[in-house]
Amino acid sequence: MSARQPRFNRDNLIDTTPLPDHIPKVQELGASSAPLLSASFFIGARCKAYNDDYMMCKNEANGRGEFDCMKEGRKVTRCAASVIKDLNEHCLDEFRAHWQCLDNQNQQLWNCRSAERKLNKCVFDKLKLEKTIPDTPKGETPVHLRVKNTFAKN
Amino acid sequence: MPQDMPPVGGYGPVQYKRNLPARGFRPAFYLLGTAVVMTLGFYKFGQGVREHNELAREKMWSRIHLIPALTAEEDRDQVRRYLADRAREKELLGTETQVYNSNRFVRPTFAVTPEK
Repeated sequence: MSARQPRFNRDNLIDTTPLPDHIPKVQELGASSAPLLSASFFIGARCKAYNDDYMMCKNEANGRGEFDCMKEGRKVTRCAASVIKDLNEHCLDEFRAHWQCLDNQNQQLWNCRSAERKLNKCVFDKLKLEKTIPDTPKGETPVHLRVKNTFAKN
Repeated sequence: MPQDMPPVGGYGPVQYKRNLPARGFRPAFYLLGTAVVMTLGFYKFGQGVREHNELAREKMWSRIHLIPALTAEEDRDQVRRYLADRAREKELLGTETQVYNSNRFVRPTFAVTPEK
């Protein structure tokens, strides 16, 4: 048996070296999946321009998007963070109720419509962000606004 | 001796048919009922499929809205590790080796762990 210890474990794999100083720092989102899912359509509503810009930059960067699109990436992160910050400031109770419901309901949006309606109303009143699902067929009520559902409990 | 002959006026009728009452409705009604139930069921099924499609669309778009933020965070982390790796190599070996014959970003296959 060799005397060498296996080195691929989680203690050793952590590389905590920060980014060099010439790259501007940005606070990461730090939200887990349920709050992100709950806020996703508002992030999409406010940050569409930044998101599209970033994805286009990466698409056209010819494999160097990781380096060349850091500026756009910082904008995307700042914009998404601003949405979550606003949600926390203005609609904290509704936001919390919704993402906790998502956590309890296997992150199925259709099981949390009552909490979502309250959140959407609060966000629309205070932040002027509206949830829209693109490409919904014309003449149909979007699925998150329907009163009668086959699958949803409420 | 006279032969045996049928009685005068012939025999009476023989009952060969069963004399049971026919239960239930006419078959056409059952056929119609089945058709109605099936049509209704398929209609509801179709409605459910359409609602499912819309729910899938909602889920897909929620993910699409999140992808740039998640990708940006991941890319920043990858660049941070890459630059740290380059700096470590420069410090230890004094060289900056280019492994691939292109300047694209390649996700590392092996992780170099810094010594504590």
